[in-house]
Amino acid sequence: MEIMNEVKVTINVNGQQVTATVAPEESLLDFLRNRAGATEVKCGCNKGDCGTCTVVLDGQTVKSCLVLAAQADNKQVLTVKGLEKEQLMQDLQVSFANHGAVQCGFCTPGMLVTAKTFLEKNPQPSRQEIREALSGNLCRCTGYQKIVDAVAAVAAGKNDK
Amino acid sequence: METTVVGKGLPKVDALPKAKGKTIYADDFNMPGMLYAKVLRSKYPAAKIISIDTSKAEQLLGVHAVLTAKDVPNNNHRAKFGQSKDVGSQFEGLYRVLAENKVRYVGEPVALVAAESLKIAEKALELIEVKYEPLPGVFDPVEAMKPGAYLVGEEDSNIVSHFKIRKGDVEAAFAAADVIVENTYRVPFVDHAYLEPESGVAWVDENDVVNIRVSTQVIEHFRTVADVLGVPHNKVRVIGTWLGGGFGGKEDITVESFLALLATKTKRPVKLTFTREESLLAHSKRHPFVMKYKTGATKDGRIVAVEAELIADSGAYTYLTPWVLLYATVNAAGPYDIDNVKVDTYAVATNNPFGSANRGFGAIQPNVAYESQIDELARVLGMDPVKIRQINCLRQGGSLATGFTFDRYVAVADVAEKAWQALGPVTESKSKNIKIGRGLAVGMMSYGRLTFLHDTSRSYVKLELDGSAVIRCGVPDLGGGQAQALCQIVSEELGVPQEKIKIYISDTALTPLAGTTTATRQLYMSGNATLKAARAVKERLLQKAALMLDTPIAHLRVGEEQIYSTVSDKKVTLQEVIAQCSADGIELFCEAQFNAPATDVPDSELITGRTHPDFTFGAHAVEIAVDVETGAVDVQKLVICYDVGKAINVLNVEGQLEGGASYCLGYALMEDLIVEEGRLKTPSFSEYLIPTSLDVPDMDVIMLESGAGIGPYGAKGVGEPACNSIAPAILNAIRDAVGVRLTSLPATAEKIVFALQKQE
Amino acid sequence: MNSFAYIKPRTKEEALSVLHELGARAKIAAGCTNVLPDIKAKKLADCVLVDISSLAELKGIKVTGETITLGSLVTISELLESEAVASDAAVLWQAAKVFADPLTRNRATIGGNLANASPAGDGIVPLMALGAIVTVENVNGKREIPLEDLFTGPGQNALKPDELITAVSFARATNTKSNFIKFGLRKSMAISLVSIAVVMETNGDKLDRIRIALGALAPTPVRAKKTEELLAGKQIGPEVLEQASELIKTEVEPITDVRASREYRLHLTGVLLKRAIETALA
Repeated sequence: MEIMNEVKVTINVNGQQVTATVAPEESLLDFLRNRAGATEVKCGCNKGDCGTCTVVLDGQTVKSCLVLAAQADNKQVLTVKGLEKEQLMQDLQVSFANHGAVQCGFCTPGMLVTAKTFLEKNPQPSRQEIREALSGNLCRCTGYQKIVDAVAAVAAGKNDK
Repeated sequence: METTVVGKGLPKVDALPKAKGKTIYADDFNMPGMLYAKVLRSKYPAAKIISIDTSKAEQLLGVHAVLTAKDVPNNNHRAKFGQSKDVGSQFEGLYRVLAENKVRYVGEPVALVAAESLKIAEKALELIEVKYEPLPGVFDPVEAMKPGAYLVGEEDSNIVSHFKIRKGDVEAAFAAADVIVENTYRVPFVDHAYLEPESGVAWVDENDVVNIRVSTQVIEHFRTVADVLGVPHNKVRVIGTWLGGGFGGKEDITVESFLALLATKTKRPVKLTFTREESLLAHSKRHPFVMKYKTGATKDGRIVAVEAELIADSGAYTYLTPWVLLYATVNAAGPYDIDNVKVDTYAVATNNPFGSANRGFGAIQPNVAYESQIDELARVLGMDPVKIRQINCLRQGGSLATGFTFDRYVAVADVAEKAWQALGPVTESKSKNIKIGRGLAVGMMSYGRLTFLHDTSRSYVKLELDGSAVIRCGVPDLGGGQAQALCQIVSEELGVPQEKIKIYISDTALTPLAGTTTATRQLYMSGNATLKAARAVKERLLQKAALMLDTPIAHLRVGEEQIYSTVSDKKVTLQEVIAQCSADGIELFCEAQFNAPATDVPDSELITGRTHPDFTFGAHAVEIAVDVETGAVDVQKLVICYDVGKAINVLNVEGQLEGGASYCLGYALMEDLIVEEGRLKTPSFSEYLIPTSLDVPDMDVIMLESGAGIGPYGAKGVGEPACNSIAPAILNAIRDAVGVRLTSLPATAEKIVFALQKQE
Repeated sequence: MNSFAYIKPRTKEEALSVLHELGARAKIAAGCTNVLPDIKAKKLADCVLVDISSLAELKGIKVTGETITLGSLVTISELLESEAVASDAAVLWQAAKVFADPLTRNRATIGGNLANASPAGDGIVPLMALGAIVTVENVNGKREIPLEDLFTGPGQNALKPDELITAVSFARATNTKSNFIKFGLRKSMAISLVSIAVVMETNGDKLDRIRIALGALAPTPVRAKKTEELLAGKQIGPEVLEQASELIKTEVEPITDVRASREYRLHLTGVLLKRAIETALA
């Protein structure tokens, strides 16, 4: 173990190993957008207040702007694109589109990641529980209504209108 | 009119790509050899610039350019906002690229840097030495109006604009009134808080054209950028991206000039993305207003006079202030038929952040006042909130105090009643600390730009040989389904399914200019232009089909990729008709222009006649629970009732209504961009709070479709009208719940507690 | 010109020896929910990020006899998922439920919340009401600090530069009545304007003992000891609650800031004390 002025990290992003030498203070968000080409992960505030950077890190749903890239070394990151291999995410994406839950779409990738991991743990949530689960993901366009509708519809097993 | 595609809640063409994370927003785009830009901003709200030394910054390894005002070919302009007609005077105030001689607000751009990495650019900023001599500044518009006040700009007065309305004789009317309500209302600076910060990438191509790929509501800024550079207009191309929200905050030039200058200087692609803190600090805000209202009525509830004085804080630079003030003036008395109206509005420069467009554009602020006033009147008279509005509201044939007459259905009375009814039975309070209250408010807001701008919009529609269709239209898409609406219109008219329609948007080189995505104008303008273009093509198809089927055009319909007779079995596929037309040299494309009604630029402060094409009317009814001990307000029921004319896409219209209600629910309860002596005290999203999913209730949307709009199929615009009236509905509900009339926003728990204590 | 460096100790011992070597140059990085925003805001510079996030010794919630011990790396989400915390530290569980937002809770650690020493710390206030003790270690050994003694000012803790919080423990509050109330300006992702935690041992309708902790009302989170004394041994009724709600206002020194005025915070203090006790007793 040594004090490093730069850190070589290898992070599995959506199934691909991405290696880079990063500055110690570089965030996982920086890494994903600038090193791994994962621009579907957005930067809305860079300090954990908006949720547009939400990803799954080794099974945990986190705001990637609050994780050091170095802390994700040898770990697996799944973004909305990586999670799309699973039916639940596909259902959510279609449901969002069909319910009008996507306006500008900037919050959407993060919102979908949170929704997907939430539904896996809580397959039959109430609307209030859905709102609570999404309360770390801001949306400025929709007023949240159709986002909740879209998630609830998937939970209820029907994802088109 | 019956439609088969228009009206349906189809998923937007951009929805699934966005949900899949495929859409390339402004900051997602990179180019080889790209440099990173940063902006050095003033630390002072008012100061002389004594000197700027950029030498150390220029010498830093990795820095390619450091620019100040002296490096800008044309640093000062008349600010244009995409209009094609020069309107001059106060409506085109100063647009200055980089500060010269004096700074007027904290955050004013002073210098630009482009470097190989963001880190180097940030370091370069630190190395630029600016010597400032702080000046006193002025931070209150009322103070700034006084003679002898510190002068913010280079004019000899801080008063930027003044408008007035005069109708009848308010003095006499007040003297005869049975009841008078007087209040002063205050609304603060708020931010658009789009989740995508300002961003763009620019590069100079092999033809010396400056290309700017940017998140913008106005691609027409290419003209101003060209003027800044001193090059012909056709040497600047703006490619608008799918925005991550606009709300009026990306209506002014944000990053475009900076990028163009740096790309030209460095001969490399350059990216500039604002940090969130930079966005909150340095882009436009909604104008704060101080609004003095005096409303007089008879004991039967008839409003006989309204006198209003509105003072707006214009901030450091003019931008769209006079336009916003004009909207505020026209909207000051609300959608009511009042015989005596006296309105005076002022916008005053200060060393505060500059005000410009924000969703609602000067209609929202007076709405808070006039809907609170009428609610208070209703209380004094012991009258039902719906009834008092029905007595006074405008109806078809009625006129605003400017003299503008509504020759079509006006929904105010109906939306008020329906919204109020839809609240249903009152929820019982669950504890002695919780008081339930209900509030109603109505609103009116224009759609379409100020008519003295002589607004136009163009759209191009073409059929491919295989029956698929292409639309090219300069429309920027903020997320409100601006592009989707055009696809549905073409699908409706030409019988082409949405999957076979491809739309290209927002590129000054390749798409006809459709005008700005502002002023709730796109559906009306580019929608009508697209409709016109599609119908021109349709007409040619029908003429050909009439020959092919030996059937008069009156008996033919286009739908589901065919043209068929309504009186026989005859039909022909669209592809067959296209093949015939094509063989005969008939044009299967059309670029059409739609013109809005045109009026003259007001030549005095007195505003009369038509200022806008049309208005949208809506209402909000809310039920809230107020915790009388903590003052906390919980919105439990929220009903939205609007006449949308015709919903082109029902999901998108609902989305605008729900989103608009949420946008100004924040304005009502929690948003406050706190500025003290010109300095921002709410620098990030930790201090500047917008509603989360737990702060907004489920909303009940009731859409009326009167067909009375002047948009395609009788549609009205809803984007901005959607955020009207929710704030005063909440204030009225608070009044109902606990008996206090709050007259300033946001209606925080603290204000409620202290108002209740004062009452005791 | 990198002003940050990084080191990842593999064991707790290595971490302590690194801290000893680096002293004030070290900045402990665990959940980074404060560290990264501080770096971006340039409030942190020229330091070595000591990444302790993988240290197994600092993880886990242990129940030994009457004591619950939280490893300093226990996340707020893990508190919510813990049955022991839900049943025997209800006040902490309630605070975890309204802490930040679900995503931040997955990363934020209890040790980080303590070390960050915010006057409004939503992890600190309930732990204070539980009478928590903090275990702090360096190369020279361990010491235990009562939680109240950990804070010296807003954002300032009493740790020496080479010290690491390794655990926080408290007696199981099994037969207590407790309540945590957070008052914020919105319902999620809100910094507490005022927060209060009460833990009470009751005997029938008599209160034996109460601990009251308050957040966002002083330079550090505080215990309202005079109010605790006033209430101890009393039958809880409207009169004594009214007295307590006035006395407690003398035990705090709130400020006026962008979120609220001093006067409003004082008002809320009295209101929330009554409410927390009434809710806990109900």
